[in-house]
Amino acid sequence: MNMRREQLAIDPEKCTGCRRCMIACAMKHHGRIDPDLSRVNIIGLDSKDLNVPVICMACDTAPCIKVCPMNARIRQANGTVTTDTDVCIGCRACVYICPVGSPRINPYTGRTMTCDMCEGETEPWCVAACRQEKALTLCTQGSVSHRAARKAASKTKQFHTGG
Amino acid sequence: MKLVIIGNGIAGNQVAFDVRKKDPDAQIVILSAEDVPEYDPCSLPYFLGGECGRMDVFRKTSKDYADGRIDLLYDSKVVSIDPENKTVTTHTGEKIGYDNLVLAHGGDLFIPPIPGIDTPGVFSCKQLGETQKLAAHKGTRAVVIGSGAIGIEAAEALKRKGYEVYIIELMDWILPSLFDEPTAKRLENELTGYGIQVFTHEKVLEIKGAGQVIAVVTDRRTIDCDTVVVATGVVPGTALAQTAGIETGRGIQVNRQMQTSVPDIYACGDCVETIDACTGEIAMFQLKHNAIEQAQVAARHILGEPVRYLGAYAFARAHFFDTHAATFGKTQRALDCVFGDKRIVEREDQNNYLRVVMLDNRIVGGQAIGTFADELGLLIGAMWRKDDFLDIAAKMRTLPKGGAVHAWPMVRLGTLLGM
Repeated sequence: MNMRREQLAIDPEKCTGCRRCMIACAMKHHGRIDPDLSRVNIIGLDSKDLNVPVICMACDTAPCIKVCPMNARIRQANGTVTTDTDVCIGCRACVYICPVGSPRINPYTGRTMTCDMCEGETEPWCVAACRQEKALTLCTQGSVSHRAARKAASKTKQFHTGG
Repeated sequence: MKLVIIGNGIAGNQVAFDVRKKDPDAQIVILSAEDVPEYDPCSLPYFLGGECGRMDVFRKTSKDYADGRIDLLYDSKVVSIDPENKTVTTHTGEKIGYDNLVLAHGGDLFIPPIPGIDTPGVFSCKQLGETQKLAAHKGTRAVVIGSGAIGIEAAEALKRKGYEVYIIELMDWILPSLFDEPTAKRLENELTGYGIQVFTHEKVLEIKGAGQVIAVVTDRRTIDCDTVVVATGVVPGTALAQTAGIETGRGIQVNRQMQTSVPDIYACGDCVETIDACTGEIAMFQLKHNAIEQAQVAARHILGEPVRYLGAYAFARAHFFDTHAATFGKTQRALDCVFGDKRIVEREDQNNYLRVVMLDNRIVGGQAIGTFADELGLLIGAMWRKDDFLDIAAKMRTLPKGGAVHAWPMVRLGTLLGM
């Protein structure tokens, strides 16, 4: 199992709901200013007074990999779990099983998309877009917030004990 | 160590490759009753409907087996097991010895005893060979017998291919083991809207035709057709295990380490009877994610690691054309024989529908159609954690509006439940 070396941490307290991260994400992956194409999803709760950025945390025992009928959910070398859009048929099984409801549907293709940590970039674009508010930050392996996030991500859908 | 695995499905391959990853010296043999590398039965309806190519259904290639030094023997149907001498016998009479044996041959398609069920033109959609025959078949009118997940997906696939499609279900509503009536009736309306005729509470009496299917006769009507798809469920294969004296119930009985009652024989996947991780009841959830998890547990125990399986869980989705629905845990009907305080929470918003089943204020199941399904995973998590619904409702009332940042997971769950 590839442990995710870097981790995006969210802080809903700092999130203003400006959705710049969503626009940055759509720009990076699709070259378009369209929040519908973002892998980060800001959900507005309490009549939109409370904003929470939802992103894939790449669970250690990721249930989306197991329920995909097309085996299109693939664990990448950097630890992220992404959809192979060539074989995805848009059944949304990965969305329904996700403990945080993170995979998003590309409204133009019907296929799912999740955070790939902007592989190859020095820092994910959403983090760069949120540098002022710091609601989305990048924590590296060994840091306290990284450990806390991975601990949470290892508890989802635990199916055995021991070892 | 010589590890022999019966069955080249999801579970069998998971055991083989998991063991190989940690033990480079083990001799691993997979005995397959078919003649292709591992494929995913869940993909078959999409291959049938032309949504993916034939190559996309495969999870492995022959090269993967060569690279993993795993001997895959095709067309080797095991007919008996001799635990005394630690050998298995194939249908050709060949004897193969083992140190550890894994039964992962899965389930058999349940073929209902209907007159004419073996007429040419009657197909199934569980194995690749049969599905290929169905895909190559030229027809215009199809009757699908049974409306489980495979039946619905096969019906959609045939509709996409231009068939006129009819679904016949014996029970009162479609997808009877996955959905409750209100959810299923909505899905039935959607199916009808796509031009697929659904007849529930009807029994198929006969399949007519000599040499080729011409009609299906039910207790209410006769439907002219040239294609019949049997999708009446899967039963665990237990006959083979019984030849070794392994204890079986509805499926092969296993302990928390996936060991059967006979030493050195493990079982995992669709052929076993397992327990529900949330209720502890005996359960038959013949689903892919459970097969993978059981196989991972079996592999770890074979390698001598301490491991304890926590149980299986039900999760399934129903997806056809633009309709998306999902279900998890128990249905209201499954709770009928259980004591306790039962409550149903329903939410409706145009075509979107959410139905949450609670027992003693804890979520034990749920069904959703449309946008509500997108956050169904939150409810699965609540079921997993055994969250107290009254507790959440009470806390939701006391939270300051907009200022409850620290409690956002609860606010999100409460919002979904309409609190």
